[in-house]
Amino acid sequence: MTELTQTLIFGALVGGVYALMATGLTLTFGVMRIVNMAQGAFLILSAYLCYSLWSHFGIDPIACAFIVTAPMGLLGAVLYKLVIERVQRIDHGLTIVATFSLALIAEAVVALVWGPNQASTKPHYFNASFHIGSLVIPRAQLYACLLAVGVTVALQLVVRRTWLGYAITAASENVEGARLIGVEPARVGLWIFAIASASTAFGGAALSFLYEFTPDTQDVWIAITLSVVILGGLGSIPGAFAAGLLLGITEALTSTYVSVRWATAVPTLMILIVLTVRPQGLFTRMTRQDVVA
Amino acid sequence: MKHHRPKVRPALAVALAAAAAVTVLSACGSSSSNSSSNSKAPLKIGMSLPLTGPVADVSKSGYEGYQLWASKDNANGGMLGRKVKLDVLDDGFDPNQSGSNYTRLISQNKVDLLLGTFSSLLNAPDSAIAARQGMLYVEPSGGAPTLFARGFKNLFFAQPGTSLTLPDQFVAYIASLPAGQRPTTAAYVTQDDPSASPAVAVFKKKLEALGVKTLYDQTYDPSTSNFDTIAASVAHAAPQLVLQGAVAGDGAQFARSLQKLSFSPKTLFQINSPADATYASAIGGAANAEGIFTALAWSPEAKYPGNAEFVAAYEKAFGHAPSEDAANSYTAGQVLAAAVKAVGRIDQKALAAWLHSHTVSTIVGPMKWDATGVPEGSLLLAQWQSGALRILAPKSAATTTKIVAPKPPWGT
Repeated sequence: MTELTQTLIFGALVGGVYALMATGLTLTFGVMRIVNMAQGAFLILSAYLCYSLWSHFGIDPIACAFIVTAPMGLLGAVLYKLVIERVQRIDHGLTIVATFSLALIAEAVVALVWGPNQASTKPHYFNASFHIGSLVIPRAQLYACLLAVGVTVALQLVVRRTWLGYAITAASENVEGARLIGVEPARVGLWIFAIASASTAFGGAALSFLYEFTPDTQDVWIAITLSVVILGGLGSIPGAFAAGLLLGITEALTSTYVSVRWATAVPTLMILIVLTVRPQGLFTRMTRQDVVA
Repeated sequence: MKHHRPKVRPALAVALAAAAAVTVLSACGSSSSNSSSNSKAPLKIGMSLPLTGPVADVSKSGYEGYQLWASKDNANGGMLGRKVKLDVLDDGFDPNQSGSNYTRLISQNKVDLLLGTFSSLLNAPDSAIAARQGMLYVEPSGGAPTLFARGFKNLFFAQPGTSLTLPDQFVAYIASLPAGQRPTTAAYVTQDDPSASPAVAVFKKKLEALGVKTLYDQTYDPSTSNFDTIAASVAHAAPQLVLQGAVAGDGAQFARSLQKLSFSPKTLFQINSPADATYASAIGGAANAEGIFTALAWSPEAKYPGNAEFVAAYEKAFGHAPSEDAANSYTAGQVLAAAVKAVGRIDQKALAAWLHSHTVSTIVGPMKWDATGVPEGSLLLAQWQSGALRILAPKSAATTTKIVAPKPPWGT
């Protein structure tokens, strides 16, 4: 029983990390229908920025996340105006190629600036744990999971309680209808890209103290974050959080009770099942597609 | 209308025949010696290295080892009176890219000689390409048994032992312990890797033969980044000995996961990772590394000819101590140079034949190979002690007689 409880704890904590990493992609993919292949590269860039702040100034990586948010948001906005918006006008489908190119450029720039060596931040809690009886709760994972909860709640509040949130919802459900009520989808797109990029600051900070990373670590994370978004349902921020938890727990249970080797296949298998049985995602309702532009 | 066959003027015919003869002769010559056509041009040595990607840190120091060897060789006059020039391509640790790079080096860049890359994953296809093209292939890494089961006559491994002999010294150490001190239970975790997996299988077989009961045995995918659940399962099984077939950063990541659980086995052996320059730092400092065992191909303190000079020159050139990977690539260069200097020409078959029948003096000791390119030796048993790796066995290379056992708890 202890082993099962411990496995569930590990799974839930890792799932929270997955949800945190996927937050930005949920917005761009879910609302704008743009598969932002550069999301993983932005995560790694944020991780390296946090690493630099930690190694040069000794700032805790979690505090670094709040510092890195603004430049990452600005970067997202600039890239949207310079690249995404223009490509979108030509052919929406080309955005995936454009973001993939951005990912490659970002990886090369990161490698040039920080070098190819593995890096990680090591705050005092990176390998420490809380012990409750025979159960262990790793502090680093717990803090990352709490960050995920915080980011999810904050974004959900923005979507549900602010004019920007209403505009995002309107633009995602019916572009022409949104225009009729004065919402300009291009401007909303700019905000979504900026918020999505800014949110990678938190994912990157968590990544920096949880794992060793190199410039090309983005490959691993883009696969996981896409899995989370598809499982959770396009555009659903709470859905992405729930999907992250489900994915983490399923991976942990597979690793412990089936085989470690099978654990890495779990995201792919789950996507296959969900796309077959419930293509709209596990945590969203099917909507009329004919009114979505 | 009558068509006349154009006449070829005698002088032009003679010139064409002479040109054809020269072309044929030079083509014949090039099959055995590229150097004859341009004897003072630099001797191009091609290699594809994972300078970017997940093992870029390991490869960087390996590349530095190659650079140092080339500059030292050039300072001594080069090979065959020609300066050595490295032709290096990056493959990002992608076997497909690595393979196409070696093909390009041979067919387009027309390199005179090849040197190998890092990991069995990359060396397996690359050595096959070299074999198809009849090129000598001396590799600094890639000790998986499968590489030597293909019967290539041109492949030479520039480390003193392979994956199959890697466990020898550690198993001998365990066997030497009194029954009361010998671990009775073990857990094995290994990356699905052509070099690490067979080594761990040999460990398990030999330790089980000594009566060490297996409590946990799992293989993880190379893309695995989160080791918490694996570590939790290991901790739950509570073995006295934990053995990990790590390849690169996965060793530090697994150790970090064990730390989070406060599970410190009495004996911890990891392949490869503990020799990385960043290992101690990655797991939270030298105190956490204390008592961890590994196998090494090379030691900076070994008294073999040229080793002390290599260490000093490397530190002077790059400002930091050489890693095992740097030493391995330097050794590969030494092996290649010894063959070329002895044979006296670039003749790939003759170079391979010479290496099969001679012993080469290197910084990892005298090296000799069997017919498949397997070195006839074994690796060193090392342990982290007081912030550095110390050699425990064999006795001829040992740098200490002290053994830290059991492994102290993390962070003490």
